[in-house]
Amino acid sequence: MSNFTILDGGIVGVYLLATMIAGIMVRKYVGKVEDFLIAGREMNLYLGIASLAATEFGIVTCMYTAQNGYQFGFAGATPGIIMAAAMYFVGATGFCVRPLRDAGVMTIPELFERRFGKRVRWSAGVVIVLGGLLNMGVFLRTGGEFLVLVCGFDVRYLEISMTVLLLAVAVYTVLGGMLSVLVTDFLQFIVMSVGLILVTILILTQVGWGTLTATVAKHYGEGGFNPFVHPNMGWQYVLFNVFLNLAAVLTWQTTIARLLAAKDTKTGLGVYKGTSFFFVCRFLIPGIWGIAALAVVAPDAVGGNTLHAMPHYLSTMVPAGLLGILVAAMLAADMSTDSSYMITWASVIYNDILAPFRKKVMSERRGLLWNRMIVSLIGIFLLLYGLWYPLEGDLWTYLGVTGTIYLSSMSVLLIACCYWKKANSWGAAAAIAVGAAIPVAFLVLQKVPATKGLTEQIGPYYSGIATYVAAGAAMVVGSLLKPGDAIAIGGTR
Amino acid sequence: MMAEHWFWLLLTAACVIWYSTITVFVAVKGMKDIRGMLERLAKKAAGTEDDRAGE
Repeated sequence: MSNFTILDGGIVGVYLLATMIAGIMVRKYVGKVEDFLIAGREMNLYLGIASLAATEFGIVTCMYTAQNGYQFGFAGATPGIIMAAAMYFVGATGFCVRPLRDAGVMTIPELFERRFGKRVRWSAGVVIVLGGLLNMGVFLRTGGEFLVLVCGFDVRYLEISMTVLLLAVAVYTVLGGMLSVLVTDFLQFIVMSVGLILVTILILTQVGWGTLTATVAKHYGEGGFNPFVHPNMGWQYVLFNVFLNLAAVLTWQTTIARLLAAKDTKTGLGVYKGTSFFFVCRFLIPGIWGIAALAVVAPDAVGGNTLHAMPHYLSTMVPAGLLGILVAAMLAADMSTDSSYMITWASVIYNDILAPFRKKVMSERRGLLWNRMIVSLIGIFLLLYGLWYPLEGDLWTYLGVTGTIYLSSMSVLLIACCYWKKANSWGAAAAIAVGAAIPVAFLVLQKVPATKGLTEQIGPYYSGIATYVAAGAAMVVGSLLKPGDAIAIGGTR
Repeated sequence: MMAEHWFWLLLTAACVIWYSTITVFVAVKGMKDIRGMLERLAKKAAGTEDDRAGE
C-alpha cells in the first residue's frame, strides 16, 4: 500500500502547472531555427549546468542506477565516477569539444561534412538518430513503471500516465524548442534536486550507513565495494564503461547540444567542468536508494524484477507530503530528459538527415514548422516503441549497447576529425559501418532463441569493448587505404 | 574491505554536501542567466525587425 495522498497529488499538480506555464511563455522568443534548436547560442554557465544535470537525470536514470545499487552494491556507482572524470578531463582540456564549438556548427555531423564530405554527414546523422531513438525508446515505460509503483496506481494506468506526461512535454517543446527546454530544465533541476536530497537524507538517517554497508557485504562481499572483484563486473565492465562514458561525454547529443547552445566556448567548457561531479551523484544517490531497497525488500517481493525494488521500497518508506515532492522531482527529471532528447534528436534529423533533400534555402518560418513536426513525430515514435519493446537484461546495459551504435563510431570520427590529419571519408564510412553493425547484431542475436545463449556467453561488455576497438581500427585501415587527401577542419577540398 | 567503506562513505558525504550547495547556487545564478538570455534574444528579435523595416 503506497503512502501517496491527495496532498501529494496537489504538490505534483502545482509543479506540473508551473512547468507548463514557464515552458509555453518563452515561445514568443523563438523567431528563427537557431533559436529553436540551440536557443540562439545565448545560454550562460549556470543555466547550462542546471539544464545538463536535469537532462542527464530522468526517471530511467534513477531506475537503472538504483538497479545497479541493488544488483552490484556500491560498485554499481563505478560508471558515474568514470563519467565524472571524463567530463572534467574534457572540460579542463577542451579535448575535441573546443574545436567542435569553435567551428560554429549546430550538430556534430555538420562538422564531419567539412572533413569527410556530405555522405559521411548524412550517414553520421542516421546512426546518431538510430542509436539515440532506440536508447530513449525505453524511457517512457520505465518512467511509467516507477510512477505507478510509487503512487500505488493500478498498472492499467501506466500507458495513460505515460501518454499524458509525453503530451505535456511535447506541447512546450514543440512551441518553444530549446528555449522552453532550458527554462523548464532550470525549474526541473531545482525540484528534482530538492526531492533527491531530501529522500537520500531520509534513507541515510532511517536505514543507517552501517545497515547499508552490512547489506552490501552480506550479498556481494568485497565485490559490492570493488568492481574489479565483483563476479558480474570485472575489468571488462570497467573498461567498457571507460570507452562508453568518454564517448558519451564527447558525442552524446544532449550533452553536445549544451556545448553548442552556450554563448561561447569558455562557457561550454565551464558547463562540462561544473556538471562533472553531478555524474557521481547521478549514480551514487539512486544507488544508495537501491541498496536500501536490497536491505528491506526481498527479490521475491518484486517478482524477481530488480528494477522494481527501489520504487516498491520508496512507496512504503517515504511519508505523505515528502512522497509528493519525490513524485514531482521524478516527473521533473523525466520531463526535462524527454524534452531535451526530443529537441536534440530533432536537430540532427532536420540539420543533417533532411539537408540533402532541401533543394533551396528554407525560410525561417518553414524551417520552424518542419522542426515542430519532427519533434511531434519523435513523440509518437516514443509512445509506440515504448509500449511494445520488451526489455531484456539490465537497463544500463541495454542503454549502453544501443548508445554504442553511434557512440563508438562518432567518438572515433570526432577524435580523428580534430586530431588526425590522415583521416578521410573511407575511414569514416568504415568506422560508422563497423560501429553500428556489432551492437545491432548483438541486439538481434539476443532476440533470436537459437543465438540467445551465444550472446549470454559473450556478454555485453566484451561486445561493447570490441565495438570501440573495431571502430577505431576501421577508421585507421579505411583512411590508410585511400590515398591522402588530408584537410583541416573548416578547410575546403 | 574497511578502506573501501571509508571511500564510499566519503564519496556519499561529498555527494550530499556538493549537491545541496550547487542546487542553491545554481538556483540563484541560473535565474539571472535566464533573464539575461531572454533580454538578449528580445534585443536580437527587435534588431531583426528594425532591419526588415529599413529594407
